[in-house]
Amino acid sequence: MEGDMKREISFIVNSQQMKLEVEGHLRLIDLIRDQLGLTGTKEGCGEGECGACTVIVDGKSVNACLYPALEIEGKTLITIEGLLEEDNKPSFIQKAFIDNGAVQCGFCSPGMIMSTKALLDKNNDPSDEDIRTALLGNLCRCTGYVQIVDSVKAAAKEVRRKS
Amino acid sequence: MKKFEYYKPKSLTEVWELKEKIPNSRFIAGGTDVMVKIKSGLLIPEALISLREVPELKNISVGKNIRIGAGSTITELIENAELQTAIPVLVQAARRIGSLQIRNVATVGGNLGNCSPCADTAPALLVLEARAVVRSDKNTREMPLQDFFTGPGTSCLSAKEILVELIIDIPSPQTKAISMKKGRVQMDLALASVAVLMETDGNFCKKIRVAAGSVAPVPLRLIEVEKFLENTEITEEKIKEAQRIAMESVSPISDVRTTADYRRHLVGVYVKNSIQSLMNGGRHEKRN
Repeated sequence: MEGDMKREISFIVNSQQMKLEVEGHLRLIDLIRDQLGLTGTKEGCGEGECGACTVIVDGKSVNACLYPALEIEGKTLITIEGLLEEDNKPSFIQKAFIDNGAVQCGFCSPGMIMSTKALLDKNNDPSDEDIRTALLGNLCRCTGYVQIVDSVKAAAKEVRRKS
Repeated sequence: MKKFEYYKPKSLTEVWELKEKIPNSRFIAGGTDVMVKIKSGLLIPEALISLREVPELKNISVGKNIRIGAGSTITELIENAELQTAIPVLVQAARRIGSLQIRNVATVGGNLGNCSPCADTAPALLVLEARAVVRSDKNTREMPLQDFFTGPGTSCLSAKEILVELIIDIPSPQTKAISMKKGRVQMDLALASVAVLMETDGNFCKKIRVAAGSVAPVPLRLIEVEKFLENTEITEEKIKEAQRIAMESVSPISDVRTTADYRRHLVGVYVKNSIQSLMNGGRHEKRN
């Protein structure tokens, strides 16, 4: 256990079973970007304020920059790459963001979209307040939040239409 | 960043064994404070001992009394239907902690154990007269929560002691409680926060507990305010005087977030507003 500072862990990432050697001091964002090469997840502030690194662990949105990598052992992780639909087309949430002008520089978008997914997985008819509560931990410096809230509503409508 | 080992013990016994082997190790629960300190270089741990998978810390139960495991996440607390009914004031306060991403991992034990004067769960737990249960491999002790805090960032815990749970007596159905918090934005740390619990009969105050955060080196009970109002008839003049006493009982600092004067002002206003709101029967929640 001591000395090499590495441990093999297994977990599920975007529906794929994964086994990896992970160092104890790493954060989940390091594992996702550097070891898995999934660079859709962004690191903004690195201290849990901006939400750019938001991913979903066992159904809950978390900041990957504050999440020790080894804690992902045995859990199910979804990153923005896991939202792609079968033919590699953007998911309906991503499409709603594009259609409603909720993307400018795009840096906050992966985090915004993951928080949106976590919300819609539990609630397919969120109120404005539900949406703003779920997205409070995701900062956008370009669009303002009106277009983003509109996008979440449009995506929610799509969930209801499909169900 | 300096490398370190990360341990995931599965029981308290294992936690203490590790702590004995690596005395310079640090405990980590949700990590929302610890990880920030490591990143900023304020904390350079030799090893981290994770408390996330320690079953002894995970239980929430409402029976003869209320027991909240220190490892319960803030989200688990908010989503617990029994707590919502029994002690809504704590659930109210918990809802205003950070963002959803933070609440999903941050724990109540971490919120208290970090010993920040602005710990958002503290004022609510103080007015509920929560007792902290602290365990080491050698013994267990129980204390009123206000005795747990000893200063900004410091607690009464010795190296091997762990805050394992909070015990709260179920408030009588006649009690009402409220918590108020001011942050610059909603997910911000509290500039000042207040919680008040009251049991009244008409305008007569049978019991009152008042606590405040971010206005002293530790979250604290405003005992002078309680003494002034308990077992008396509440009037508008009395509430005004309580507001003045509250302002005098705190010792806030000026920092990057706001000034001492404004913090003092907020505490006075929140004590007044809380009492007025409870006298009007409300459990009204103040957002910002």
